[in-house]
Amino acid sequence: MKRQTKDKLVFWLFLSPALISFIIVVIVPFFMGIYYSMTDWQAVPGIPVNWVGLGNYRSMFSDIKFQYSLFRTFTFTLISVITINLVALIFAFLVTREIKFRNFFRAGFFIPNLIGGLVLGYIWQFIFKSVVPQIGGSLGIDFIENLLILANPDLTLIGLITAYTWQYAGYIMMIYVAALLNVPQELLEASEIDGANSWHKFKSITMPMIAQAFTITSFLTLVTSFKQYDIIVALTNGGPTDIFKGEVVNSTEMLAVHIYNVAFKYNNMAEGQARAVIFFLILSVVSIAQVYNNKKKEIEM
Amino acid sequence: MKKGYVLLLMSLVLTISLLAGCTTSSNEEDMSVVIYQNKVEIGEQLTAFAKQYEEATGNKIIVKTTGGDTPYQDSLKAEFQSDREPDIFVIEGMGGYNTWNSKIIEFTDDEWIDLTDLEFTVDGKVYGFPVSVEAWGLAYNKDLLDKAGVDPATLTSQDAYREAFEKIDSMKEELGIDSVVAMAAGPDMRWVTGLHNFNGYLSAGLPYGDRTVLDKLNNGEVDMQRLTEYADWVELLFEYADETVLITGNYDSQVGQFATGKSVFIHQGNWIDPWFVQNGVDFPMGFAPHASVKGEHNAIFIGAPSFYVINKDSKNIEAAKDFLNYMATSEEGHNYMVNEAKMVPAFNNVTLKPTTPLSANVTEWMAKENGSYTWLQNDMPDGFGMGTLGPIYESYAKGDLDKEGFIEQIAKAIEALK
Amino acid sequence: MITKKRVSKLLLGLITVVLFLIVLFPFFIVIINSAKSSLEIITNPIALPARWGQLIDNIANIWTNPSINYASSVYASTIITVLSLLFISVFSAMAAWVLVRTKTKLSSFIFLIFISGLVIPFQVVMFPLVSLFRIIGNNLNIQLLRSYQGMIFAYIGFGAPLAVFMFHGFIKSIPYELEEAALIDGCSKPRIFFSIIMPILKPIFVTICILNAIWIWNDFLLPSLILGIGQPLQTIPLAISAFAGSFVKQWDLIMTAALMAAAPIIIGFLFGQKHIIKGMVSGSIK
Repeated sequence: MKRQTKDKLVFWLFLSPALISFIIVVIVPFFMGIYYSMTDWQAVPGIPVNWVGLGNYRSMFSDIKFQYSLFRTFTFTLISVITINLVALIFAFLVTREIKFRNFFRAGFFIPNLIGGLVLGYIWQFIFKSVVPQIGGSLGIDFIENLLILANPDLTLIGLITAYTWQYAGYIMMIYVAALLNVPQELLEASEIDGANSWHKFKSITMPMIAQAFTITSFLTLVTSFKQYDIIVALTNGGPTDIFKGEVVNSTEMLAVHIYNVAFKYNNMAEGQARAVIFFLILSVVSIAQVYNNKKKEIEM
Repeated sequence: MKKGYVLLLMSLVLTISLLAGCTTSSNEEDMSVVIYQNKVEIGEQLTAFAKQYEEATGNKIIVKTTGGDTPYQDSLKAEFQSDREPDIFVIEGMGGYNTWNSKIIEFTDDEWIDLTDLEFTVDGKVYGFPVSVEAWGLAYNKDLLDKAGVDPATLTSQDAYREAFEKIDSMKEELGIDSVVAMAAGPDMRWVTGLHNFNGYLSAGLPYGDRTVLDKLNNGEVDMQRLTEYADWVELLFEYADETVLITGNYDSQVGQFATGKSVFIHQGNWIDPWFVQNGVDFPMGFAPHASVKGEHNAIFIGAPSFYVINKDSKNIEAAKDFLNYMATSEEGHNYMVNEAKMVPAFNNVTLKPTTPLSANVTEWMAKENGSYTWLQNDMPDGFGMGTLGPIYESYAKGDLDKEGFIEQIAKAIEALK
Repeated sequence: MITKKRVSKLLLGLITVVLFLIVLFPFFIVIINSAKSSLEIITNPIALPARWGQLIDNIANIWTNPSINYASSVYASTIITVLSLLFISVFSAMAAWVLVRTKTKLSSFIFLIFISGLVIPFQVVMFPLVSLFRIIGNNLNIQLLRSYQGMIFAYIGFGAPLAVFMFHGFIKSIPYELEEAALIDGCSKPRIFFSIIMPILKPIFVTICILNAIWIWNDFLLPSLILGIGQPLQTIPLAISAFAGSFVKQWDLIMTAALMAAAPIIIGFLFGQKHIIKGMVSGSIK
């Protein structure tokens, strides 16, 4: 065999298992999805599919529930990104210092990440519904005892973010730990000899490393928060209700949940698919802008 | 050199085998009848009964049970997307029929049809086998009612209820209760409000089988008079409910409140019986009449919640029919329905009596003349009851909406069905 | 100066311990409530259980529960997780390697397609995916829905983009001279990959496997569509959802089920903790 043909053979042989799986599982359904979003597709076998153009998209934007879901998803994502990164950073600082049982603490902070969103949602539902009032009762604080966290839209959002931060901060911590450990020790020592104080050291040496890590962590937290599904389903199931533009809406029905509900609960697959396409567009724009922006900042620093 | 190729070849073979792995579903499944059902609580018992049937007849029945957060219709759709369609599956009324009518057969001369009044029919044609009879309403704790000096037989109108609730509420401490009614309207409990309670608007006070209000609803027409009367009833229930249970409670906390004697009434159905059995609760109880709208009432909501239907593309239609007949006509079938699965059977040839308190009470109501109101909640459009109406009840319970707002939102939701 | 440093060190240590306890508090709640009866939970969810033996009863209850079917669900989750990890990492490493070492427009384009997979959210492909799997099942007679092979195949597809991306970055940093020398020695390309490159990739392998293991073991939405809830073949999260989502929401058993669902992966983590943390730290920044 000629060398070149052989190389080509190896190229395709090595590439095909991953590429074929990826194309069948992601790429083909992606284009099917875009097509279906412009039809009256019902996903019941045997029922023909008719073209409806942009009809599904038009009804989406006039749907108050969708507008609200979009708004709440943005709020949830924004706050989650901040809290998760903040908590993770604090954890990372604490476990990169000279303390005993450092690895033990790292493992402890990381462990919630091993719990699946569904199981975690049930655990926190129990905490908010039963444990918190009981603690209030034991402490004799009526306010806490009678606090119905999962009945108030804003408190529920905070609860959701708490549960999610609890799960995800340990993972993001690991990335910060890696960044902090990458700070060259010699540099720190050298600057200490130069008489730099801790703040100065932090600002000029540690910060840039964190900024670099932040490009990754903020991207990860942003994308995963935006796509959150499991925790919400198990913790709040979309509730409690809120009133938005005079209509009753589900306050924690974030986009991922909303898409699923439109498709299955209201039995409207095509409309659910159209919302999923918009979901994809928003996610791409936001994440690309975010990475671009951070990269720019990173260079400036 | 060789080692590399061997490894490469192996991984390729693995991919191919992965893709081609199991090319056909097992033959055993094709020969047998697959029943795909949605009652988690009877999954075990039904499987055991299927075994009995297999021993008696040699026909194999495979029971698949689904439950959980995904509504049955979703799971069923996914099931039909898979490669082995079930032979028997469940529809929950008109909504299910509309989705699946092209896939199901008509029952014509099956034995069981003459034994029941609750078969699922469309235009006089029989399509569904009633799985069981269920009923809901306001169940009461007899001991507490006696203590409060209220006779449940007098609770026949909204006024009588209001009077009784006021009285009981004033005796809270004496009775040791948190609230008069255990009612739930939270996110987990939309089936209680958006389906069961709302059914009062659709059928309370009307003759059995009357669908006029429902038909109007499906056309986007509101019966304002009825809706206003009905809203009074909802107000009454919410006003005398425990706030925590009402707003955030789940099934367990609602039933738990009633079972621990912390409420006198509960808005639930006879399916809560197993909870009492498991937790050793044994006070006497029964259903009081349901006064969803103005006027005198002496009935509760009785119906078949779901029906077994047969897939018309099934290769085993005869075997599937035979299984259903066996369930309705044989002693083993009766024993399974009544004693094992703890259901109230829909067939009048069954002589066994339920032993659990509410189910036993349901059979009494069934025997009464005009003792039942129709179940119409499953004949509303998909997602309307739990998805659209449920949140409105929740907002009302929380106080985000007042009664006028509640009426207005419900009316708006109905009008949107046009 | 020294005392000040010591005080601040002590203080930080204290904060760490407090945070640590807060983070672990939910686990504490799960454990104590797994050892209660449902009535005991309603009365007081933060008291210690009256009788720890109840834990055994509850575990036995979950173990024999037909909708959870614990043993077979753990078995299914294990098979699916292990095989998916193996295929994702090996296939992606192979693909990444040829993509790095072949400098053509085509290979850059293919790499770009993989990267695009990173921004395609699962939600936009999930409904059509199920349809496609059904179409494949009906026309090519390959059963993908309700089966191991379909589930694992889907994980390879969804796992490939990130893994290819990570391997790609790592392989770029491996000097080509290494391979060149072997080529001159007459080594074939596949051989070079399996005997030279693969060993170098070990640390990133570990990282990718950990990330994917956590994802796949706990994943809910994808298996709920591919495998379905309440099917004979179900993973642990599906089993939990089938159980916890039914009408009868008994917190004692849900807590026990949560405990038993998390146990295998937490035990696995504690065993391999050192390597895992090292792998996470070294791999995450690359």
